Amino acid sequence: MSQAEAVGAAPRTIGEQGIARYGWIGASVVLLLALGGLVRFLDTNVPVWLKGVSWIKSVEFPIYAILVGLAAGAILGSFGLRSRLGAAFRTEFLIKTGLVLLGASINLAVIARAAGPAIVQSVILISSVFLVSWWVSGRLGLDPKLRALLSAAVSICGVSAAIAAAGAVSARREQLAYVASLVIIFALPSIFIQPWLASQLGLNQVVAGAWIGGNIDTTAAVTAAGSIVGDHALQIAAIVKQTQNALMGVVAVILTAYFVYRIERVPGATVGLGAIWQRFPKFIIGFIVASALATIYINSAADPKAAGDVVAVAGPSLRTWFFILAFVCIGLEFRPAALREAGARPVAVFAFASLVNLVLALALASVLFAGFQLA
Amino acid sequence: MTQPPAATQPADSDRSPGGIRINEDWAATAIGIVLVLLVLAGVIVKAMVP
Repeated sequence: MSQAEAVGAAPRTIGEQGIARYGWIGASVVLLLALGGLVRFLDTNVPVWLKGVSWIKSVEFPIYAILVGLAAGAILGSFGLRSRLGAAFRTEFLIKTGLVLLGASINLAVIARAAGPAIVQSVILISSVFLVSWWVSGRLGLDPKLRALLSAAVSICGVSAAIAAAGAVSARREQLAYVASLVIIFALPSIFIQPWLASQLGLNQVVAGAWIGGNIDTTAAVTAAGSIVGDHALQIAAIVKQTQNALMGVVAVILTAYFVYRIERVPGATVGLGAIWQRFPKFIIGFIVASALATIYINSAADPKAAGDVVAVAGPSLRTWFFILAFVCIGLEFRPAALREAGARPVAVFAFASLVNLVLALALASVLFAGFQLA
Repeated sequence: MTQPPAATQPADSDRSPGGIRINEDWAATAIGIVLVLLVLAGVIVKAMVP
C-alpha cells in the first residue's frame, strides 16, 4: 500500500469505528424500547391469561419491568453483549425524567406541606445511619474512603451519593464500582419486600411511601417500590427521596472538609461551599417547576377539578413509560457477581446499616407522617 | 479551594455513551419540563376543540 493510500485509509477506519459505535447505540435504544414494549404487553395481558390466579392482579408494572430486565441482562451477559449494548441503559437519566413528569401530578401545596416532615426525617435518618455505618465499618477495619462511600450510599441515595462521596474523598474507581454494585444488590429485593412488609404492617399509603422513600437507597428503586404500593405512596416516597437527594451536597462538603482537615491534613487547603450547588441534584428543580406549572394551570382553569382530572390522566402514561424503561435498566444492570467481588465485610456493614435504616425510617415515618393528608 | 479529584470528578452519569459530556440532571429537567408543557398544551388544545 502506498503512503497516499495509507493516509487515505485512516479516516475511513475512524469513520467505520464511528458508524459501528453509533450502530451499537442505536441497537441499544431499539432493544430498550422493545423490552419496554414487552413489559407493557405483559402488564396488559398476563392478568387476562391468568384470570383464575387471584394474586396476579396485584403484580404491578415495576415487577414485570425488573423481571424482563433481569432476563434480558442474563441473556445479553451469556452472549457477552451486555457492555456493547449498554449505551441506552441509563437508569438515572430515565428515572429523573420520570420524576420531573411525576411533579406535574403533585399539587405544589402538597410538596410544600410534605417538605417539613420530609426534611426532619431526612436529617435524622442521614445523620444516624451515616454515623452507624461509619462506626461499624471502622470497627471492621475498612479503608476510610470505602467507609465514606458505603456510609453515604446507605444513608442518602445510593449510587448518586456514592459518586458524590467518591469525588469528595478522592476514592478509587474500583471502590466506587464496588459500592455501586452493593447498592443495586440490596435495592433489588427491597423493591419487592418493603411493599409487602408495608401491607403486612397495615400501613396507610402515606406512611408506607415515607418509609420507602426514607429507607431504600436508590431513587429508581424507591420509585418502583412506591409504584407497587400505590399512587399516593409513590408521591410521598418521591418527595421524601428527593429531600434526601437534596441534602447530598451538604454531606459531600462535610466529607470533603473531614478528609482534608482530619484524614489527609492537606496544608493550606480550604473547602468551598460551592460544592453544595455542584452536588445538588438539579432535576429536583424540574420536579418543583413541573408541579408549579400544573398547579398554576389547574388553579387558573374555569373548572379546576375537571382540569386536574385531565392532567392526572394525560401525565401518568408518559411518566409510566420512563419508569418502565428505568426499571428494565435496573434488571439489565444487575450483576450478582459483584457481591462475590465485594467480600464479606462491606456486605456486613451495608446489611447492618440497612437494617438500622429500615427500623428507624419506619419509626420516623409513622410519627412524622401520621395524619398527613394528600388532598 | 480543594476540588474533588479528577479521577472521580467526571461522574459516570455525566458522560454519554458517545463520549460527549452531558449533565443527566439538567437533561432530565429540560426534557421533563418540555414534556410537561407539551402535555399541558395538549390538554388546553383538547379543551378548546369542541
